[in-house]
Amino acid sequence: MKYNKSNPIFSSYQNNTNLFDEIFDKNENVRPTYKKILELYSDHSIQDFANLNEKAKASFFNQGITFQVYSDKKAQEKIFPFDLFPRIIEAKEWETIEKGVIQRSKALNLFLWDVYHKKNIIKEGIVPMDLISTSGNYLRQMIDFNPPGGIYNHISGTDLIKHSDGKYYVLEDNIRCPSGVSYVICNRNALKRALFGVFNHYEIQTVTDYSENLLEMLESVKPKGVDSPTCVLITPGVYNSAYYEHCYLAKTSGIELVEGRDLFVEKDFVYMKTINGPKRVDVIYRRIDDLFIDPMEFRKDSVLGVPGLFAAYKKGNVTLANAPGTGVADDKAIYTYMPQIIKYYLNEEPILNNVHTYHCSNPDDLKYILENIANLVIKPVDEAGGYGISIGNRLTKEEIEKVKMVIKENPRKYIAQPIMSLSVHATYIDETNSFEQRHVDLRTYTLLGQDKEFVLKGGLTRVALQKGNLIVNSSQGGGSKDTWVLKK
Amino acid sequence: MAFDYTIKYKSENNYENPVHEAYWQFLVTPENNDSQELLSSNFNTSVDARIENSINGYDFETARIHCKKPFEKINFEAEFRLLKKEMNPFEFTPTLDNHLDYDLIESLLFKVEFESFLKETDLTKLTEKNKDIYLFNKDLSIFENLDALNKWVYIQLYFKTGVTDVGTLLDEIIENRHGVCQDFSHLFCAIARRNKIPTRYVSGYLHQGEGFFGDSQMHAWVEAFIPNIGWIGFDPTNNFLVNHNHIKISHGKDYNDCAPLKGVIYSSGKNETKYSVEVSYQQ
Repeated sequence: MKYNKSNPIFSSYQNNTNLFDEIFDKNENVRPTYKKILELYSDHSIQDFANLNEKAKASFFNQGITFQVYSDKKAQEKIFPFDLFPRIIEAKEWETIEKGVIQRSKALNLFLWDVYHKKNIIKEGIVPMDLISTSGNYLRQMIDFNPPGGIYNHISGTDLIKHSDGKYYVLEDNIRCPSGVSYVICNRNALKRALFGVFNHYEIQTVTDYSENLLEMLESVKPKGVDSPTCVLITPGVYNSAYYEHCYLAKTSGIELVEGRDLFVEKDFVYMKTINGPKRVDVIYRRIDDLFIDPMEFRKDSVLGVPGLFAAYKKGNVTLANAPGTGVADDKAIYTYMPQIIKYYLNEEPILNNVHTYHCSNPDDLKYILENIANLVIKPVDEAGGYGISIGNRLTKEEIEKVKMVIKENPRKYIAQPIMSLSVHATYIDETNSFEQRHVDLRTYTLLGQDKEFVLKGGLTRVALQKGNLIVNSSQGGGSKDTWVLKK
Repeated sequence: MAFDYTIKYKSENNYENPVHEAYWQFLVTPENNDSQELLSSNFNTSVDARIENSINGYDFETARIHCKKPFEKINFEAEFRLLKKEMNPFEFTPTLDNHLDYDLIESLLFKVEFESFLKETDLTKLTEKNKDIYLFNKDLSIFENLDALNKWVYIQLYFKTGVTDVGTLLDEIIENRHGVCQDFSHLFCAIARRNKIPTRYVSGYLHQGEGFFGDSQMHAWVEAFIPNIGWIGFDPTNNFLVNHNHIKISHGKDYNDCAPLKGVIYSSGKNETKYSVEVSYQQ
């Protein structure tokens, strides 16, 4: 089936065939997985989509599914724009993704164990010592400590893109406090409300089992000697950009949502204040950064944490998920060694591709970067949320000179990658009242517990809503799509 | 021969406005090691709260207080009894070939093993203008170099209280040439690490009564790792090697890892901290 200019919803669809379109192939034929949905959607007029889009927006606002955007001026509460056209991933394609992200999570976990114990991978010269010793996220307090179940990165979010060659590449591994999973579930619910009929024509994997798996995973890493652990989720509070998600996950997993002031430590055990008196807490899913968890040990001005929590953790009386110090492996410079890391610990070839990366700290790479800056993306190694990224071919001459200066001043802080062409997907655009091509990526969610591995069958497809924009982060004005993984 | 020490640590904190809730962590308990054995510890406080034993992030023993009732003043007292062995700081076999030692400290394995104590921290940072302020002479052994550095720091800085605080950076200390034991120790750490010798900051007590700098207060010195010998203590504030007068509490990368008192106070306004130390022994 070719898409048809007479097709009411795709009449103005401009298909740039230089890009990888998820729906249409190079010859502008509809890919098999999308045939049915395109047929179904064609029964509607574009005005129907405009109406549904408004309703979906209102519903997100009413449910309070919002996030905060940080800017210089003030914090703003926004909804995460939701798109009515789902992204569909075939069972076979998904199988590769799932195996690939599990492989990465396991390898990262083994890497973390190693860098906090014998450091063999550094002693053997596979990963340079500088990446550890100059990382602000390497917590020396964790050296020689054995986290319960041997797990550091209980919860990982892996960001993937599909390049113009049709292959998936990993952009980064988020193992500090990856967020967004609640939107995956909300998007599914929203699409079901808006267009429930289309679900009858596809066999789609569920995403609503995430919370029960989260709880099972947290319980699997309980401290020694505890039978039925009490788990809680600790949030920085209502002003955090992901507060909605914290509430959602606590509610759907059936665990308490707490702030630092709701907990206290006595004799190296952690308790939660309840109306029935103190209740012991065994596992904490923490959505607070390392340096804020305990003012006694880390930042003493932190009012978000719990004084004495880190000592309780080191005594083995409470589990923190993710473990403190995981951030050292979340570093974008460590990312570039992922193929070697996977090979070293698992003796396997990486299932998912890495984007080739140049290190500004390496003199040869730096020379290449400075000469080819127009064809590269420059990223700071330790920033999340798409902040501080420069895309070479979008920069003016002056901007290029400025970026060069910044890199030369602090080479360890930056890496560069070729500009990857993210795949595009038809997305409903308010302003033009039509479907247009927009760049998308995919964040997957992996849970790692004691004898437990789980990948959410689905994920967050993030959309760069501005035409031609390659940065999909929600904090940079991106939207998202429901993501269907088909059953076999 | 052993020395039977009694150490008394007293602190007093006064607050301008009532404190409603507070946490304190005291890192003042001597550690157990080859040269010292802690016999007993006793803690007392003026506030109505239990004193708990815990650990800091590097597994050194701490005493913790969590007070939930309002107060304006807190006294805290700790008394320790400790047996200290007589030490001969020169009791080691020097390496015959210095070059082997200098080769070893250049090896990746060595650098990885001692990464934490080779790392520059904010308090042990030598900026560009001071980075080569003191370079080792490779014709001398590592120990001889460290011993010379100990003396150099002692001569370079004048002991003077009240001119620096726990956050003073080395640039200022080198420029003004005065400070207290923390500053002497930070400067030693910075230079030794710059010369590739793993060095740790040590917090502890010094036996008083013999006119050393640092008695009647908490003291600080350093331990440097010498290949084939081990960790050797240097006291640059007094220009000697660590001996039976030094009672160790903890070590770390710099003062921040060893701060004797940390607190989280729910109150407003000013506060005032005083503390004193008494160290005595019977032979």
